[in-house]
Amino acid sequence: MSPGDLLDAGFAEPSLPRSNGTPTFDAPWQARALAMAVLVVEHAGRPWDDFRLRLIAAIDDDPERPYWDSWVMALDRFVADADLLESHE
Amino acid sequence: MSEDHHHRLPTTPVEARVEVLEALLIEKGILDAGTVDGLVEYYEHQVGPMNGAKVVARAWIDPDYCARLLADGTAAIAELGFGGVEGEHMVVLENTPQVHNVVVCTLCSCYPWPVLGLPPNWYKSPPYRSRMVREPRVVLAEMGCAVGDDVEIRVWDSSAEVRYLVLPMRPEAGEAVSETALADLVTRDSMIGVARL
Repeated sequence: MSPGDLLDAGFAEPSLPRSNGTPTFDAPWQARALAMAVLVVEHAGRPWDDFRLRLIAAIDDDPERPYWDSWVMALDRFVADADLLESHE
Repeated sequence: MSEDHHHRLPTTPVEARVEVLEALLIEKGILDAGTVDGLVEYYEHQVGPMNGAKVVARAWIDPDYCARLLADGTAAIAELGFGGVEGEHMVVLENTPQVHNVVVCTLCSCYPWPVLGLPPNWYKSPPYRSRMVREPRVVLAEMGCAVGDDVEIRVWDSSAEVRYLVLPMRPEAGEAVSETALADLVTRDSMIGVARL
């Protein structure tokens, strides 16, 4: 069985772009969460590793949790730890 | 321009959270919606395994480039215009008749975005991440990639700073094949090391 058959079967959104037969994201919010992480890390002037370590921790927290859910948890933590939403008001 | 990208009614808590977070970050002036749209477009259309395939095809036809690629992956890949987040420390692993390389990230999903795009789902799955290290020959066989017992399998864990790209062996594909035609032969999976050409 090919890896694509095995684990990419969950992809159902036909309108999303595919590369080498595999859709990049299985829902638009995942693409937005990815882009937001890249932009927020850049805005905070932090190395990408700062986000990656939080992603590792989120996955380690619950290895069975869907990958992009862990991604959003890591993004939430990064934003909180960098005080990006706390500054004024 | 963003109308089509948004689900107006989030269907899951995590989807709703992403919308709230984006709205808050926009309100604070940290993000603007257009920039998010642009980056989404970039990751969906501009980066992907076709970039890595160009690198591989060039290495196959140009021994000098191949030597530079193996000596300093990041610099040689940048020669073709590829680089950026998750591609800062590239190491290229050459497959030979004696050695088959395969890449995994045991801790999360580190992956060379500029040359391969974003990782496929199975790459991020717990079974792949744990089993590829323990029993690579078995996992590869299950994935349809049989590696002979006389070939050494080397598993590379990309959890540190380094991102790996496998340089597959050039298939016997007739003579005088163009660089573009060669690039078409290169699959994403062959550059992760879970397929052979």
